Amino acid sequence: MTRPQEPHETLLDVLQRKRDGRNVDPSMGVLSGEGAQQRVKTLERAPGVQPSGDGALLPPGAPSYYGLPAIKEPVWIASVPTYLYVGGVAGATSVLGFAAELIGGAWLRGLARRCVWVGMAGDMLSAGLLIHDLGRPERFLHMLRVFRPTSPMSIGSWVLAASGAFNTLALLVGHRGGWPGTVGRAAGAGAALLGLPLSGYTAVLLTNTAVPLWQSMHRSLPLFFMASATAASGSLLSLLPHPRHEAPVLRAFRVAGKVAEVATRIAVERDAARVPEVARPLREGLPGALWTASKVCAGAGLLLELLPRRTSGVATAANVLTSVSAVAARFAIFHAGKVSSRNPQATFQGQRQGLGAAEVTGHTVASDGKPLKFPLPVVR
Amino acid sequence: MGQKGFFTDTTVCIGCKACEVACKQWNQLPDDGFHFTGMSYDQTGALGASTWRHVAFVERPVPMPGVSTAIADFSWLMMSDVCKHCQRAGCLEACPTGAIIRTEFDTVYVQPDVCNGCGYCVAACPFGVVSRREDDGRAWKCTLCYDRLGEGLTPACAKACPTESIVYGDLDDLHARAEARVEALHARGLTEAYLYGKDAANQPGTGGLNAFFLLLDRPEVYNLPPDPVVPTMKARESWTAVAMGALGMAVAALGAVWLGKERRG
Ligand code: SF4
Ligand code: SF4
Repeated sequence: MTRPQEPHETLLDVLQRKRDGRNVDPSMGVLSGEGAQQRVKTLERAPGVQPSGDGALLPPGAPSYYGLPAIKEPVWIASVPTYLYVGGVAGATSVLGFAAELIGGAWLRGLARRCVWVGMAGDMLSAGLLIHDLGRPERFLHMLRVFRPTSPMSIGSWVLAASGAFNTLALLVGHRGGWPGTVGRAAGAGAALLGLPLSGYTAVLLTNTAVPLWQSMHRSLPLFFMASATAASGSLLSLLPHPRHEAPVLRAFRVAGKVAEVATRIAVERDAARVPEVARPLREGLPGALWTASKVCAGAGLLLELLPRRTSGVATAANVLTSVSAVAARFAIFHAGKVSSRNPQATFQGQRQGLGAAEVTGHTVASDGKPLKFPLPVVR
Repeated sequence: MGQKGFFTDTTVCIGCKACEVACKQWNQLPDDGFHFTGMSYDQTGALGASTWRHVAFVERPVPMPGVSTAIADFSWLMMSDVCKHCQRAGCLEACPTGAIIRTEFDTVYVQPDVCNGCGYCVAACPFGVVSRREDDGRAWKCTLCYDRLGEGLTPACAKACPTESIVYGDLDDLHARAEARVEALHARGLTEAYLYGKDAANQPGTGGLNAFFLLLDRPEVYNLPPDPVVPTMKARESWTAVAMGALGMAVAALGAVWLGKERRG
């Protein structure tokens, strides 16, 4: 996978940059156009100076514009896949914590409280990771300026903000008696209720884009993320010091997650495999290696769990493997999506195979008025 | 006010890039540096944060009826690309801050004083139009000259286009004009001519484009998607999956606690 190469900066570029590339002398002209406030440090390269090369293995004749990407690559950085893990764990942990509070009684009070701690820490860390990713971090509060139900990111921002507030409240007053305790427990219930979407909306956030790989998984990725969050949350809580009587609860929770994770991972792969060009990054390159590693770790984590005799060393290994698998899966899907966005054929072929708008509306002609699939094979 | 838009007739485009220059100048956008791409006369490559019009050049090894060139079996395709100002705009539906709005002219506009650079619109646009300038941190795209429309002026690109390849106007007028043009071209033997994204019937995934095109070849040749879809159209199924997952997770949590209690006896 070759990326467009950065050409060397020419003398002209250097001179241009000194004058911000606008050729407007501020003593003679006013900068008041729509784009005049756009900050310039380095002049943007003409994007895609070289073809992406991703189409090199294709049958010749698959049309594209010099092999350039058809959509923009997501600009998100590594803090986003990190958040996919942290936020998922925080959500699932809040859910378990409230279940322990609700039907566990005094016997599981300790677990419930630890879950609130983990949930709150996860929420705070998540917010930090997301703010770090913004192009204008100082404007992070603009996220709560409106509520836009069509935007999973808007929904998620509100869910995360409210979940963090509830978990904090539960932590501060949940253990008290009297009405503050009631308020705290109600806040815990709120955090658990929000923990459910918190662990799954991130998948909708990814699939609700034009990125071919992510969009292709729009039915299965939420289930996979939530299953994997359950497994990862159970594993993390098991790795943290805990009294022995909590062990069966944690085990049941994480095994349920691990089994569901394996099943939903198959669904995710099958969704992607409908279009070979779309699924390719899950098999090749660094994202492919990450995805395979995640699969191996998940399988090993589940197998170790099912061994008849398990020492504490084996149990720890299983928990670590499952956690690594959850992180690796998110980075793999994130980066594989980026790769697929650079490949125009992933976009074009998916849509030609009826996975564009046709998947929803069921029409059979493309925007050029001809049948979606090329009627004749391309020969050369 | 009414619905305003662009009709871009690629058959009369001569590739002069007056639109690119007019857009840069009017909007006072920084240049992209001077780089040779080796892709015909296209030195711009694609639309971007500081490139709001982009002229695509395709050299085809096939003749075009009614056009004679010095070389046999050769024809040009040139297309001035722009933000489509979709009826159902992926960028607008994704923007969590409300920075992207629909204006009184039915165009799609990014408010630079609101955008916090989350980058969601960049991934959500099915045409790869809006993009974030890294040293600025915000998302930028064609405004359909919102400032000029407010004064009753024609957008800079349409004003500068010497061949009327870019026509600005009321959507209804543009539709009538475009259909008449297609008919005329068909009558002249250019039967490949078609309208891309004229309305919801033509492009159900976007509900139609306020900036639509007359093209002569498959959309992919111009780097346009053949069946674009606003991602939110598929969100219902995703949210259903989240609801199912939530049910499963709640059952797992309650079941685990209950099971642990049973074990204890
Ligand atoms: S083309 Fe892209 S940026 Fe323009 S309105 Fe449509 S979705 Fe938004
Ligand atoms: S980058 Fe700006 S305009 Fe784009 S979705 Fe985020 S806040 Fe909205």
